[in-house]
Amino acid sequence: MFIKIIISFSLLFGTLNLGANSFTKSATIKPQLVQKGLQKEWCPVCGMSIEVYYKTSHTSKINNAHERQYCSIRCLAVDMQEYDIKREDVKVVDAATQKLIPAKSALYVVGSDIKGTMSKISKLAFASKESAEDFSIENGGEIVDFKTALVMAQESLGSDIESVQAKKTKQVYPMGEKIFDKRCKKEIDINAYLQINELKAAIKEKNFCGELKEGELQSLSLYLWEVKRFGDLKKIGDVITISKDEKCPICGMFVYKYPKWAAQIFYQDTHFSFDGVKDMMKYYFEHKEGISKMLVTDYYSQKAIDARNAYYVIGSDVYGPMGDELIPFINESEAKTFYMDHKARKIVKFEDIEEKEVYKLDE
Amino acid sequence: MRAKINMYLFEHAVNSLFRQKFKTLFVVLVLSTLIFLLTSVFFISNSIKHELQSTVDALPEIIVQKLGGGRHYDIETSSVDEILEITGVSSATERVWGYYYFENAGVNFTLVGIDEFEEQYKKSFASAAKELDFSKPTMMLGEGVESVMDKNYYKEYFNFIKHDGTLKRVDIGGVFDTQSELESNDVIVMSKDDAREIFNMSKNMATDIVVKVANEDEIATVASKIKLLYPDVRVITKDDIKISYQNIFDYKSGIFLALFVVSLFTFFIIIYDKLSGLSSEERREIGILKAIGWSVGDVLKEKFYESFIISFFSYMSGVVLALFFVYILKAPLLQNIFTGYSQLKTSFALPFVFDIQTLFLIFFLSVPIYIAATIIPSYRGATLDADEVMR
Repeated sequence: MFIKIIISFSLLFGTLNLGANSFTKSATIKPQLVQKGLQKEWCPVCGMSIEVYYKTSHTSKINNAHERQYCSIRCLAVDMQEYDIKREDVKVVDAATQKLIPAKSALYVVGSDIKGTMSKISKLAFASKESAEDFSIENGGEIVDFKTALVMAQESLGSDIESVQAKKTKQVYPMGEKIFDKRCKKEIDINAYLQINELKAAIKEKNFCGELKEGELQSLSLYLWEVKRFGDLKKIGDVITISKDEKCPICGMFVYKYPKWAAQIFYQDTHFSFDGVKDMMKYYFEHKEGISKMLVTDYYSQKAIDARNAYYVIGSDVYGPMGDELIPFINESEAKTFYMDHKARKIVKFEDIEEKEVYKLDE
Repeated sequence: MRAKINMYLFEHAVNSLFRQKFKTLFVVLVLSTLIFLLTSVFFISNSIKHELQSTVDALPEIIVQKLGGGRHYDIETSSVDEILEITGVSSATERVWGYYYFENAGVNFTLVGIDEFEEQYKKSFASAAKELDFSKPTMMLGEGVESVMDKNYYKEYFNFIKHDGTLKRVDIGGVFDTQSELESNDVIVMSKDDAREIFNMSKNMATDIVVKVANEDEIATVASKIKLLYPDVRVITKDDIKISYQNIFDYKSGIFLALFVVSLFTFFIIIYDKLSGLSSEERREIGILKAIGWSVGDVLKEKFYESFIISFFSYMSGVVLALFFVYILKAPLLQNIFTGYSQLKTSFALPFVFDIQTLFLIFFLSVPIYIAATIIPSYRGATLDADEVMR
């Protein structure tokens, strides 16, 4: 009864203050945290705060004993790949009452206007049909059961991980690295912790890095957990360096004028620079022996990448200094984006590039 | 060795200049003033161009602002995550900034919030981020702000008036140095949290978002994708800002152009006057010189030395004066045309840009033309018979 009054009050205030779209995923009452120890505040998979994403939170049991609480169904799906989790054990927070209920009987509103947690599509659970319907009338989305919602989460897992990863590499890891370098005592033994939330709890509790805000703590933990644990940030961050007197052996132009298109072939004791992949390939087909390394410039990041692992787009509306080009990309999804954006003809991998086709680009 | 300087003729030329003291002095004065004016104008506009260029170069590739009713509104910080997902974007940072009106001095400060660990979108802020103490409310000041606060006896801290009338005390951490004065004289840098508190901005809001794109060929594509993602935003690319800066500059340099045209016009009137004929005294002089046995070549040589000495001397003194005026005196009067960005005037230390091209342009506009203007009428006089000239 008391809770109901609080909820109705908070709802009332919500509507009064912020208008219709007042729904927040954070807990508005004291959240139920089922995990043990200091790490209970955070998700064991991604390290995010459970309180902040309380209304999408799920819990499970592994080995019939340890209870785990996730920020969202997405992290549950990730954990299900690793552990044998029984669906009967899964509980979910009712977005209306903010209480844990068995997921099997819960109704999920998917694809509403509310943004998903670590996923493009949000999946919010409700115990009663009425509240689910009320919610979907106000915020859109359709009502499905747990099984369907879980399948959706599993299906979109790949693309969700990719889009979160983009943010992590562009922003979170560099920030975490800065915090680590500036604030932290270097004695943190990352391998002593089994899960990211344990690491997070330890950093906070043992004061390894002084006072940190939640966001900073999260960046730091992610950096330590996902990057530092496997060595330092990969040093592919370099651009191709070209001295001012290097000319392309194919076309005779100075390469330093076109850093955006630079490519290089390294032999044992010498190297050649080219003002585009097209010229590099022409040279490569003639002199295949003794190559130690080949570098091309990634179109989007402008960093040096290994030519043999890159993807190449042919026939786009972007021209290099020598006209039509093979434009290199670090991964297939970026190549595809470029392919769509610039009306290209096709995407090929390095070993599929044919000599005939390279020469055809000049026509 | 015919090209060798004939010292006798040279001596005669110098003496002839000293003989006509007032005329020489007058020509030197007029010529130096003109060259001084022209060079100053060129120096100032070159320096400002350089300053603007460095300001523009330091700008992020894309700025995303939310609009409502044609006005600028705060944007949700969650948009940063979505923008980061766009391929080609190398970083996206939310900015918190705004203006704070300081009534006592009648000036506007530009308050900029920065975060300790994020990627700074401007180099000057990166050094400020290192020096700023984020554990308590502290700020770094631009030089102009520092002097204004100092005059109002805020030496250690400053009280900002918040939206509800309460005060927010922020300690002064120091003055931050920058490459470009134009942009940062009125800037205060503090932590994002403090800036948000002063502006009454909630935590998940920001003033705008700056986006960096590694490959400049992709700026247009990324900008159009952001526009598609958020129909209610204005996407400003670096080129847009460049154009609007250029417009301000062009507008103001119109005044300079007017000055330039006027001085050039004056110069050519003097030249025309000279070209139209020699004074009778000069004609007589040439006649006498010819009568005592000078050849036409000798006369012309002497005249060449004379005009070269006078014009080159004026050129040098004009340029030196201009250098002194622009870079040491900071171009009083002339630079006022360019200030007026906000109440707090930018102090405007013009960066020293030595442009050889400008100096050559002015050299060829003045020295050879003056020499020609002296030699051509002399030649006309010298080719006539001596008795005819003297008659």
